[in-house]
Amino acid sequence: MTTHNPLRRTLPALAGVLALGLLTTACGGSSDSAGATTTTITFANWADAEPATQAGLRTLISEFERTHPGIKIKSEPISFTDIGQRLLLQVQSGNAPDVAELAGNDTLTTAETQALQPLDELAGSGYKQSIIPAELQLGEVGGKLVAVPWTVGPIGLWYNKKILKDAGLDPSKPPATWDDLLADAEAVHRKNPKIIAFGLDSTNRAFGLDTNWPIIKSFGGQPYQGTTPAADSSGVKSYLDFARQIAKSGYTPANQKAGFFRQPAASDQVAFTVDGPYLKSVVQSTSKVTDQQFSDTWGVVPLPTTDGRPHFSVPTDHQLVLFKSSKHQQAAWEFIQFLSTSPAGIQYTIKSEGSLPPVATLTGDAAKLLDNPIAKSFRDDIVPLVTRPEWGSNYAKAYSPIMSSVQSAMTGSQSIDSITSGLQSDLESALK
Amino acid sequence: MTVDAPVAADTARPPRRNSRRGEPWLDWMTLPALVILAVVIAYPIIRTVLTSFYDYPLFNPEHSFIGVRNYHRLASDTVFWQALRNTVVYTAASVLGAMLIGLTLALVTERLRGPWRVLRGALLTPWAVPVIVVGFLFRFMFDEQGGVVDAVLLRTHTTGTAVPWLTGGYWPMISVVIANIWSQAPFFLMVFTAALGAIPPEVVEAARIDRAGGWTLIRRIKLPYLRDAALVGTLLMVIQNFNNFPLIWTMTGGGPAYGTTTLVVYVYRLAFTSYDLGYSSTVGAVWLVLLLAVAVVFVRVLRRRSA
Repeated sequence: MTTHNPLRRTLPALAGVLALGLLTTACGGSSDSAGATTTTITFANWADAEPATQAGLRTLISEFERTHPGIKIKSEPISFTDIGQRLLLQVQSGNAPDVAELAGNDTLTTAETQALQPLDELAGSGYKQSIIPAELQLGEVGGKLVAVPWTVGPIGLWYNKKILKDAGLDPSKPPATWDDLLADAEAVHRKNPKIIAFGLDSTNRAFGLDTNWPIIKSFGGQPYQGTTPAADSSGVKSYLDFARQIAKSGYTPANQKAGFFRQPAASDQVAFTVDGPYLKSVVQSTSKVTDQQFSDTWGVVPLPTTDGRPHFSVPTDHQLVLFKSSKHQQAAWEFIQFLSTSPAGIQYTIKSEGSLPPVATLTGDAAKLLDNPIAKSFRDDIVPLVTRPEWGSNYAKAYSPIMSSVQSAMTGSQSIDSITSGLQSDLESALK
Repeated sequence: MTVDAPVAADTARPPRRNSRRGEPWLDWMTLPALVILAVVIAYPIIRTVLTSFYDYPLFNPEHSFIGVRNYHRLASDTVFWQALRNTVVYTAASVLGAMLIGLTLALVTERLRGPWRVLRGALLTPWAVPVIVVGFLFRFMFDEQGGVVDAVLLRTHTTGTAVPWLTGGYWPMISVVIANIWSQAPFFLMVFTAALGAIPPEVVEAARIDRAGGWTLIRRIKLPYLRDAALVGTLLMVIQNFNNFPLIWTMTGGGPAYGTTTLVVYVYRLAFTSYDLGYSSTVGAVWLVLLLAVAVVFVRVLRRRSA
């Protein structure tokens, strides 16, 4: 008697299906039932890894796939803190995605691998003209466009009008100089020491230095340029003196991330804070206030400066890059363009990211959504002040000694001269 | 005679044996394990040492051989020396503190009987808490803005102003050590509880008959019996604390300034935020030598015990 074993037939069939699946995956394309070729674009990003943006991004990707039937998007969620190093490793191992979301120094460091595809030809003049010029320049390296803006987030000085009023200050006159800010912070602190007078990211991270960079510049300093350290300068010393004052006077807790101040800000426990436009969505999602209520409580202005010097800001934009190794450059570019300039992409940027879209002209729903004093202040007053820090591989080496010195000034008792002298020699060693 | 021939053949090809113990020099059955060890341990170590002689930035595909220049840089790198000092302070204070508390708890809970033994289980729970969770817990507890520790100190008027646990002077190092001791003391509690259980009851009884008091009993009888357990536990924890990254990273990120930066934190920064794989391998190679020295002591102690 022979026993019928169903697995004898099923297993080879399963193996065949599996092999076919692997083959089509490896080829990066497949045929649907109608015989049309489908292109798959891999998209490394952190938006899919964060609860606040995940749903919005997935809806956006679905919308893209619906309007572009021949293209499928395979999202690769990687956390914000890991994406820079992960992409460098992927480039080194020849396994880069087609498209990636990057920000700040990670964009420039990745560009140094020469793995990014210049986008000038793909973008064309039409696309370029549709983007805010200052934002487009942020993605240029060596005269070539290697990254385009997706979300725009310059940092400004947020101020809580209620707290200022309670402290006897005029909420219609936010500080324009750092001396003004110190005076206002003193008034707030005297009135209620429990309130964080000034929220400033002073963590030892590249992002920490991003936040401090425009402030250092407004004091007339720049810790280094290219490979030349310039830390032992009056500008850097003045900045460190300021950092010491705000920490020792109890206006700001040292070694805290920008995110640390957002929840207290939502419960009116922060008078001033240095942050991007996304603070609005964090505060609103926590305290459930309307746009009008938010605008009644909060205002934003360019970061203060010292007498006679220009104001500066720094971008915390999310950018999109295309890798040279991508076999589907045109499809990948269509996806990038969709994310940064389509109505659906703009809606996502405003609603899910709480940021500004990169388009030069706002129309339709986007114009309505951004018809508020906060967005206007960011677009009209702060975006034009954006300058790119000395991003690149040297920045990756220099940020730690610089931010360590900022923390030393804030928490230690060493003289400022001694701190800048030590920083100068640390930078000489790091940038050699 | 033909009978002797096989014997003669055996003596002509003697198996390779360890002459002292009479064991084969290499059992081929261990080969798979040796291959795995070679791939997961030997190769990374050799590669790290080799990389330490290169200028090896992660963003640049070209890597150049620079001889011992990275080691020269190490000699004058103030952050490296501070990180080394911090590592020694952090490890010594954590292990000593955890051992003393673990010992005290083991002695106090030694005679617990019946349902009271649950208390010993409860004391072991910090050991089961993931280190990263411990880091976040203590970071919130020591926070200057509303942390429970400062709140209690201020409410009870123990201090007039908030203590800058994570931001000022030596406090950040003290804070991470306290958190680490809380996490690791249960390990010593387990080790010492097991060692106390192994003391022959007749020895303790004899001491009691001789009217030895509680303190004398501990000092003269129990502590000598616990010496070996303490040594092994200490060596294990020294190695573990040398490598303790998540606790410091979550609590202080190695700051403020480089106040709590240990070697492992420094290596991470160099390799994964500055992308300087060559120099980070140099620091890693030195760190490896230090750990090897501790491991050699550990192995020797174990051998002496088993002998």
